[in-house]
Amino acid sequence: MRPARLLRWYPRAWRDQFGEELLALIQDTVDEGRPTWRLRLGVAWGGLRERAHQARRAARTVVKPLTGPEQLGPVIMAGLVFAILPENLMISPLPARGWQVAAFDTLLAAVALTGAVVVAGGLAALPALVRFLRGGGWPKIRRRVAWAAGASAAAAGGLAGLALAAGSHTSAQLDDSWGYLPGFLATGLATAVAIVLWATAAAATARRLTRAPRVRAVQFVSGAVAGTLVLVVLATLDFWWSVTQTPAWLVGGLVMLAVASLDARRRIPRAIRRGRRLRAAAGGRR
Amino acid sequence: MAPSGLRRPNDPPLLILVSLADGPKHGHALAKDIEDFAGVRLGPGALYGAITRLVERGLIEPLGSDDRRRPYRITPPGSAALAEALADMRRVTRAGLARLGLDPA
Repeated sequence: MRPARLLRWYPRAWRDQFGEELLALIQDTVDEGRPTWRLRLGVAWGGLRERAHQARRAARTVVKPLTGPEQLGPVIMAGLVFAILPENLMISPLPARGWQVAAFDTLLAAVALTGAVVVAGGLAALPALVRFLRGGGWPKIRRRVAWAAGASAAAAGGLAGLALAAGSHTSAQLDDSWGYLPGFLATGLATAVAIVLWATAAAATARRLTRAPRVRAVQFVSGAVAGTLVLVVLATLDFWWSVTQTPAWLVGGLVMLAVASLDARRRIPRAIRRGRRLRAAAGGRR
Repeated sequence: MAPSGLRRPNDPPLLILVSLADGPKHGHALAKDIEDFAGVRLGPGALYGAITRLVERGLIEPLGSDDRRRPYRITPPGSAALAEALADMRRVTRAGLARLGLDPA
């Protein structure tokens, strides 16, 4: 094996910085001979440790803001809610009675509104994103986007599988099935991972964009509103379940609505103040 | 490890800092020097793993070089960290020797 091939064990960024030196050292060490198995194992082990180290560091610096106890719970809950929807839609087919229609329409409206706010926040940064991509920025975010897309594909596959299972079995059969619960949990987890990866990809991209203070202020507010709206979606989901499954869900919906209300009063004014401070600071610099 | 099973002070980052304390060296020179003064053979993987961590912490820094064998030197924080680590080791050494009656400090 040529010494250069040993470098494959190391992450690319590390190879760019230290690769040539390590090769020179290996060549000095083995002189004209071939690398021994012990040396190869040592280098491979060093490369794997370096990959593990970089992965830990990346996780700490990028994912940490999204994996605190405050954020991780809602993300996992959102993943599990997505995973249970196929069964819900199959077992509680589209509503026929007035209350069910109203609850389902409210749920759809809340989802649409949340999506619209998220898209509006993204659109505000669209010109900056286009400039970034035209300036050759794509390679800097490609890997994160690819991971997020891969996790989304896995989640979509899981959801499709759950929908097929729910469509071809009764609720009792699903409860007795040894494969349904693990499939449900795996799909929920894959969905939660996809949400975290997309959020980290968006955050990493946003850090690289040159955005005007006005745009950043808009995004602070849209981010805060979207966060509250996610809780509203969960509340409307509980209301829907309360009219299609058991009325006990009504309590969950009311609690979630109260939480959303408290969250909005805390989060949105803070985002507005942050945006104002940013714009004031930018105005002062001019 | 010594025949008694007790570990020697062979932590790669410490050995690298000691080696660089008397001047800059590149990877191969570091490995040779460490083998000479400590009797420890650091393989390329272990050596560059330790170099990477030391560079990240700002305890050593690379010097400009056109050659593939880039030399490293100890930084002022690296010297301070080394001095602190050696002082700790000296305290332990003195206490151990004094209690054995080998070096009444």
